[in-house]
Amino acid sequence: MKGKFLVTLSLLLALLLLLNLPYCIGAEKKLRVAFIYVGPIGDYGWSYAHEVARQYLIKKLPWIEVLPPAEAVPESDAVRFIDRFVKEEKADVIFTTSFGYMDATVEASKKYPDRIFFHCSGYERNKNLGTYFAELYQIYYLNGLMAGALTKTNKVGYVAAHPTPEVIRHINAFALGVYEVNPKATVDVRWLFSWYDPSKARMAAESLISDGCDALAFTEDSPTVITVGEEYTKKGKQIYTFSHYSPMQRYGPNTCVSGQLVHWEAIYKDILEKIRKGVYKNTNLEDVDYWWLLKEKAVELGGEVGVPVNPKFVPALKEKKITDQAFGRINVYDLVMKRLAQMKSNPEKFDPFTGPIKDQSGKVRIETGRRATHDELWTMDWFVPNVIAKIPK
Amino acid sequence: MNLIVDILRAAIPAGTPLLLGTLGEIYVERSGILNLGVEGIMIMGAVTAFGVTTLTSNVWLGIFASTITGGMMALIHAFDCVTLKANQTLSGLALTMLGSGLSGLIGKRYIGMPLSSKLQNVPLKGLVNIPVIGPVLFDQDPLVYISYILAFLFWFFLFNTRFGITLRSVGESPEVADSAGINIPAIQYFAVFLGGIMSGLGGAYLSVAYAPVWIEGMTAGTGWIVLAITIFSLWRPERAILGSYLFGGVRVLQYRLQPLGISPNILNMMPFVFTILVLMIASREISKKRIGAPASLGVSYQREKTL
Repeated sequence: MKGKFLVTLSLLLALLLLLNLPYCIGAEKKLRVAFIYVGPIGDYGWSYAHEVARQYLIKKLPWIEVLPPAEAVPESDAVRFIDRFVKEEKADVIFTTSFGYMDATVEASKKYPDRIFFHCSGYERNKNLGTYFAELYQIYYLNGLMAGALTKTNKVGYVAAHPTPEVIRHINAFALGVYEVNPKATVDVRWLFSWYDPSKARMAAESLISDGCDALAFTEDSPTVITVGEEYTKKGKQIYTFSHYSPMQRYGPNTCVSGQLVHWEAIYKDILEKIRKGVYKNTNLEDVDYWWLLKEKAVELGGEVGVPVNPKFVPALKEKKITDQAFGRINVYDLVMKRLAQMKSNPEKFDPFTGPIKDQSGKVRIETGRRATHDELWTMDWFVPNVIAKIPK
Repeated sequence: MNLIVDILRAAIPAGTPLLLGTLGEIYVERSGILNLGVEGIMIMGAVTAFGVTTLTSNVWLGIFASTITGGMMALIHAFDCVTLKANQTLSGLALTMLGSGLSGLIGKRYIGMPLSSKLQNVPLKGLVNIPVIGPVLFDQDPLVYISYILAFLFWFFLFNTRFGITLRSVGESPEVADSAGINIPAIQYFAVFLGGIMSGLGGAYLSVAYAPVWIEGMTAGTGWIVLAITIFSLWRPERAILGSYLFGGVRVLQYRLQPLGISPNILNMMPFVFTILVLMIASREISKKRIGAPASLGVSYQREKTL
């Protein structure tokens, strides 16, 4: 009697286990991922690029639950949104995508030690808070090579947002490229004091053009500089422009030579996969700092995805030849492609910020043969000599 | 010399959305209604113009559609202020919020899209060869020429026609106008509607001519500057021309002056300093000439019950 009961019980238990098996193995708990954006998604710049990556994650990573993003969150208001994501939406991983969210994110990481935080473009980390950034200076340098080769007036312009180390670094990288192929050319800068303002960008671009600049790069979140370039080009005054952040060649097929593109999805995918595998936990992120460039495919050269140089300008770039220390006599198009290949496969071999590099006052900032350190790049507050503008204080 | 021509030439398109919006707002305020919704109407005009131009590949249809949107938006305000006699400040602010939110929603699909057909510059033959004035005034796009004509018409109708007198009297003294048999709600509805059309047109100028892209929040405060210029212009269309181009000029100038070594931080303050200065001058003139805001501006008219 007792034996029969035990058999029945164990059979029942086995059945129960069998029934529950799919739950135990198949349905792993989906990772809930939240994003906080500083701008509206529609800025076609910074926040838009993060949104493109978020859409990619929704499609490509079925094992995560991507929450609707919080957009246009003021930097002072981030705490409230993080609280909401943690408490109401039960987010496991939170990405805060603006430098200004740093304090709020650090605070939140201490307040919610069981969650994982990643802060974009910051430098403070914690055991459950990592940082990440997709850096474009290599590409600005390549754009500079092309601008230097194409300019006929030997005046190159740059429409710049704010005088932050990041923008200064990009202007310098661009100017180093210009100098390499055209030591006579200068780089002039107009400051907008705005990350995003189409009207201001237009006025600044027109002001550079009226000062004789015929090649323009920029840091501003709208394609305005490209459309201004297209307008002048159609009127018969060829202006060469370089797209910024999002694919903008479509706004100016006759003016846009190349540009920089960002692929945040590369970084997000890597982070989330490592969290899934248990490589990243809420205890070991103190030293997790993504600084991803061409090699890691977080950034791309071009004004459209897959188009490194607008075919319209390839003949002109091939026509211009220079003598390079490493490659000998070479045309600029080939130079751009070789440098691009080097930085993609083996960034140890070449970096634009390799000394000797002086600043505007003639002081040596990076000694011969030495390469700028991460910290030097991160805090850059000086211009190379062929930049003729000053950094506003 | 060349530099001056160049700056003036850039000042005209920079001032055109301001001029269009201000002309409309002058009529609105002349009728006694304050419309703080200009910013919201402008951004709706911008997204409509961009959307319809993309759909039809015809920039003029886009511009036309923006005037309809602007007019409809303004009718909401007219309904609030004239029919419901609601608080005009609140209604206007609500309109601005509505416009910025709605335009973002509608515009989502137009992000990252180039405009299929944009407004091109059309130099007017003959006129463009006049020294200085030619290249400054007559090497612009058609909407700028239309704004010249509109400015003239707005001035002409306000001060030289019966309609103008009626409009002004409604804003100055609705009681008197009412007893003279003027249909006050009709006049106010019309003025607000017209103002909406003009603001929509100003927004369209931004998205199909000035910076032919759609980006959320692209008006970036243009509507608020319109309100300041309306005061500066002392509610006179001819002064609106001056104010708008002055303002356009100041904004353009700040980038031309950067290479001279003036700190960009100071230059960036210029439009704001200029706004304050302009308002100071305007208020001085208002007290000196004893002219100024329509007397019943912002006060909803309610007919007193006869005992």
